[in-house]
Amino acid sequence: MTIGEARIRLPDRIAKGDLITVNAIVSHPMDTGFFRTADGQPIPAYFIRDVVVSYAGEQVARFEWTSGVSRDPIVSFTLRADKEGPLTMVWTDNKGGVYRQTATVAFTAA
Amino acid sequence: MPSRRSFLARCAVVGAGLIGGDLLGRSGRLLAAAPSLADPGDPEVPNEQVAKLLKDLFGDRPIRKGHLSLDMPVVAEDGRIVPVIIESDLPMTADRYVKAVHLIVDHNPDPHLAAYHLTPAIGSVAIQTRIKMKRTTWVRAIIDTSAGDVWAAYAHVNVSLNGCG
Repeated sequence: MTIGEARIRLPDRIAKGDLITVNAIVSHPMDTGFFRTADGQPIPAYFIRDVVVSYAGEQVARFEWTSGVSRDPIVSFTLRADKEGPLTMVWTDNKGGVYRQTATVAFTAA
Repeated sequence: MPSRRSFLARCAVVGAGLIGGDLLGRSGRLLAAAPSLADPGDPEVPNEQVAKLLKDLFGDRPIRKGHLSLDMPVVAEDGRIVPVIIESDLPMTADRYVKAVHLIVDHNPDPHLAAYHLTPAIGSVAIQTRIKMKRTTWVRAIIDTSAGDVWAAYAHVNVSLNGCG
């Protein structure tokens, strides 16, 4: 995966009002700035520090991260699926990289 | 063979019994000696950095244990990838909800590892992630509610391989 490639996974079947689990991953080195390369060059800090989660146009969560989150950061959280609409996540790193992914909350026909 | 979870649950029951017994025996003295609201089972604040962080985040509000679970391995063989599960039974309604979940790793270079700011739309506190740990230490999950209450859960994790450099 290239840096910033992101995936969001939602349940296959969603009914209105369900408490669903959202799983998200973004590809990123999350370098702490404490390591060196094999030839001794310091590896500068390079990590995602801000994640914004929006659902049907409204911000529903924001995460502040540090380089203490593991490489290729995963996060899962819940969402009350009370309306259909896009679930968008935007990851921003400390060098200004912005990565975006959207999944769609759609109710399964009964 | 019992599952890991049921084993942990039984350990927790035994541990709670031990701590409870100890509490009964010492509570009089503890109350007299320590005016702080800290529970005797709470991890000691290890340094000024963590003390300042707790003060900045929660001021003088008591940090009580409860309404929150922090599920982490007792032994983390690789400090680069340590799984974390944070769950709470507190409601997420329009007028009462968990505003933020703070994840603090006492002996990491930057102890304030992550903050999760939530709204009622999130529906519940059930957060999973993977973190880096430099060495064996206490980990604190602390939540701040819309009513201003502060609840905490702690986990002691033994780290075999430094994950921070």
